[in-house]
Amino acid sequence: MGVSENKVLRRDGKLPFFSAPFKIIRNLYDNRQLLKHFIGRDLKVRYHNSILGYGWSVLEPLALTVTFYILFAILSDSEDPYRPLTILLGILAWSLFAKTFSNGTTCIQRSSSLITRVYFPREIFIFSKSGYNMFQFLLSLLVIIPLLIHYDLMPSKQILLLPVALIMILMLGTGLAFFTSILQTKARDIEHMVTIGLRISFYLSPVFYPLEMITSGRIPAQYTDAYLIINPMATYITMIRSAFTGAPLDIPTTNLIITFTSTIAIFWMGAIYFMRKERKAVKFI
Amino acid sequence: MNDKAISVQEVVLDYPRKKKGVGFFREILTGRFKKSPRKDRWFRALNQVNLEIKRGEVIGIMGPNGSGKSTLLRVIAGIYAPDEGSVEVEGRITLLAGIGTGFNQDLTGRENIKLTGSIYGFDSKSISAMEEGIIEFSGIREFIDDPIRTYSAGMRARLGFAIISNLEPDILLLDEVMSVGDYEFRKKSRARIDELVQGDATVVIVSHSKSIMKSMCDKVYGLHDGQIVTNGDLEAAFEFYESEKE
Repeated sequence: MGVSENKVLRRDGKLPFFSAPFKIIRNLYDNRQLLKHFIGRDLKVRYHNSILGYGWSVLEPLALTVTFYILFAILSDSEDPYRPLTILLGILAWSLFAKTFSNGTTCIQRSSSLITRVYFPREIFIFSKSGYNMFQFLLSLLVIIPLLIHYDLMPSKQILLLPVALIMILMLGTGLAFFTSILQTKARDIEHMVTIGLRISFYLSPVFYPLEMITSGRIPAQYTDAYLIINPMATYITMIRSAFTGAPLDIPTTNLIITFTSTIAIFWMGAIYFMRKERKAVKFI
Repeated sequence: MNDKAISVQEVVLDYPRKKKGVGFFREILTGRFKKSPRKDRWFRALNQVNLEIKRGEVIGIMGPNGSGKSTLLRVIAGIYAPDEGSVEVEGRITLLAGIGTGFNQDLTGRENIKLTGSIYGFDSKSISAMEEGIIEFSGIREFIDDPIRTYSAGMRARLGFAIISNLEPDILLLDEVMSVGDYEFRKKSRARIDELVQGDATVVIVSHSKSIMKSMCDKVYGLHDGQIVTNGDLEAAFEFYESEKE
């Protein structure tokens, strides 16, 4: 790490373009200890002075699940054999995305006292939020174990969908945060826009209901393809559900390819945008 | 081997005038049609600054408020990238400006030592090696495992100074050599700064105090409106500084 003797710091007008994501990955590797410390700090601080501590990572999604389960039982008559599991996984996957995106949006602006006093690659802030939320997700995921036992679900090879979906969710959230974190330094309105946008898309995504409710019948068939393309989270949440229930992934392959490509493109363009704008943006904080 | 530690070449740096807020949206809405001239939106903080500093040198920078002293230090520290020109720095660099950078109120003193150390680019092993010295210097061993939010302002400042001054950088940038804590600790921190300055480190000091400059620096430059206006001679810089006061 940074202890290397005669480390040379050189800063001038040159900015990366297509190489931006690779540069970011190298910066992350070079600063992995700092990244670890930031994530550790956030985890420690989160439950500081709380009696239940880790319990909160579990209670929050559980409480939401119960709420939506009741709501669903009142409003809908659809048959879903794994309804609590469906809702819980939806909520966990959604909060991974939503928190990565919204924490990432504000992290540059909120770290102003640090940024104006010491230099290290600023993308560390964003990735520390992604990493922190990933940890949170994995910790909360433990609550599904009793449900899996209850439904007698054994992990099949479908479980491989889980890591793919998680990586995609992180890329999507981080990629969007690359844009919003820069804009947030110039106008604090951005974080409110992100909050509202996330609230709306929470209901428009299959978070507390299964994807079938959208794809089978309720909206005209010609729009479902467009829906899946516009809303990548619909695909990723469904992938995570299939990973555990073993149900076949009922999404056309072309749609999957388009969704993956668009997520990677968002991440890539975000990385380029961030690397090129970051040095100007820090003057605004 | 090259004996240059810092090389600042033709550096230009602009600050936005309008810090944030409505202007941004107004710019999106109307900006395409009616763009205000660049000089209204940007303020030139550094204007073609050239500075070469050799390893082990102690350099002072003087100038009136707003002349760009702190900005110059931040550019050297890599915090702001120059808009034009280039900055090259060889060695580990620490900017000492304000205390308690990166402190988290809910973490203990000890945890904050680790966090701050890693922020300044040290790995866990070297931080553990420094930890004892930092706690000793800060003089708050009794409270080191309490969360920082329970500390008094003075204790926080002592811990902050103890950490930063124990990092032993190759290049030390001092912005307004600060005095923190009670009389005893102030004396101790002043002695520590003298020690750092007299060691092998390359040092750049920004200060308004002629006596600090005289006792520490090999060269002093005067900075005026983002430009270096004297040649490094101490008396010339003092003369410039006096004339600015009037």
